[in-house]
Amino acid sequence: MTLAENLFENLRLELRRGCLTLAVLALLRQEHYGYTLRKALAERGLEIDESTLYPLLRRLEAQGLLVSEWREEDKRNKRFYRRSSDGEQIFGQLLKEWQAINASINKIL
Amino acid sequence: MDLLDRYLQAVKKHLPWQRQDDIIAELRANLEAQLEDKEAALGRPLNPVEAEDWLKQIGPPMQMAARYQPQQYLIGPAVFPTYWFVLRTAVFWVTIAYSIGIAVQIAVRTPSWAALLEGVLRVPEVLLTTAASVTLIFAAIEFTAARYPGRWPAPVASSGDWTPSALPSVEKEVVRGQKPRSYAHAVAEVIFGFLFLVWLLLVPDHPYLLMGPGAAYLAVSPFQLAPVWVQFYWWVVSLNALQLGWRWVDLLRGSWRGPRRAQQSAIQALGLIPLGLLLTVRDHVFFLLKHPALDQMRYGATLESINQGIYRAALFILVIAILQLVWEMGRMSLDAYRRRAAAMR
Repeated sequence: MTLAENLFENLRLELRRGCLTLAVLALLRQEHYGYTLRKALAERGLEIDESTLYPLLRRLEAQGLLVSEWREEDKRNKRFYRRSSDGEQIFGQLLKEWQAINASINKIL
Repeated sequence: MDLLDRYLQAVKKHLPWQRQDDIIAELRANLEAQLEDKEAALGRPLNPVEAEDWLKQIGPPMQMAARYQPQQYLIGPAVFPTYWFVLRTAVFWVTIAYSIGIAVQIAVRTPSWAALLEGVLRVPEVLLTTAASVTLIFAAIEFTAARYPGRWPAPVASSGDWTPSALPSVEKEVVRGQKPRSYAHAVAEVIFGFLFLVWLLLVPDHPYLLMGPGAAYLAVSPFQLAPVWVQFYWWVVSLNALQLGWRWVDLLRGSWRGPRRAQQSAIQALGLIPLGLLLTVRDHVFFLLKHPALDQMRYGATLESINQGIYRAALFILVIAILQLVWEMGRMSLDAYRRRAAAMR
């Protein structure tokens, strides 16, 4: 990887990081476990690595934005996540912020 | 699937023990569901090569496990600016203190190049020990602050608690020791420094260059210089050569415009060595009688008076030089602290 490519990759990851949290919070208005959430994101055009998404779910839960429960589905125990009440509130605020940034960037461009 | 079990086992080894079973169970459920989907799409189980490619695409076990860990720093971004400032200050002061200590030690013992070399060779060890100690302390601060947030005072000024009017006034452009020097000034310093050194080197063979007509008097007087002046002389020559070399390097590197307070302070600190040398001469003997057996009765009292006078003068100069050095160090530290405080607010 050249220096320019490396720089681009770092900036791209930085740009995506906040957006991924927003997308995960948005989709978790409905209950999902890790793999179906990953598929749902990919179907909407947002591919995300397993090693990024699954730890992210844990972090968001530790921050109180998600709640989870272990439940059996298809003869397998899975951990299902959904937004907590704090998560609802923060998601609303983040969404407004993202829309404002998006509108501003569009105006600038 | 054996390969998946091996993968999960490898991930588990790098996870915190309190949460590893829970994380592995969740990861297993997710990866098995993904595997089932893949196999359903293919209509057959993955062959070993496909299974390997799939796990390779998920990422190395250590990387997967690392993502579950909180981000850890030896010294994090919040503490780092303070750490860097303290590290530089500590290294600077330790260098000064060590130089003075070594100078005094060399002066008290019999001065020798071996002792000087030994002192110089120990500098890296002293600096590394200082840096390691400061780093260890700040790593402990980082560790504690990360584990007990809120219970530990913020290592840097919080962004909300400051008033612009409390900022120090703008520094005058011309500050003592920081005045930007012109190129001509820098060149003149090198030329005159060189001429001074040449003059200094000519003095032993041509004492009249230093004492004028007094040299003739010394030649016929009953007194002669004690050996300590030879050592004193070579220290002075060495210091001037060092200063000249320093200025010359500054000129070549194009850094002659920059402030030279640290450089001046270092030279001042080293300048204490020859003074210390004079003060540690046994019985304060700076002058001797050329013919003690003949002249002791006549000139003994005068000689004693001259030697005591020189001793007192050297002592007075040393005290002034130390006070001046301490004052300059204090000013530099205060300036550095003010700049730092202004930058952190």
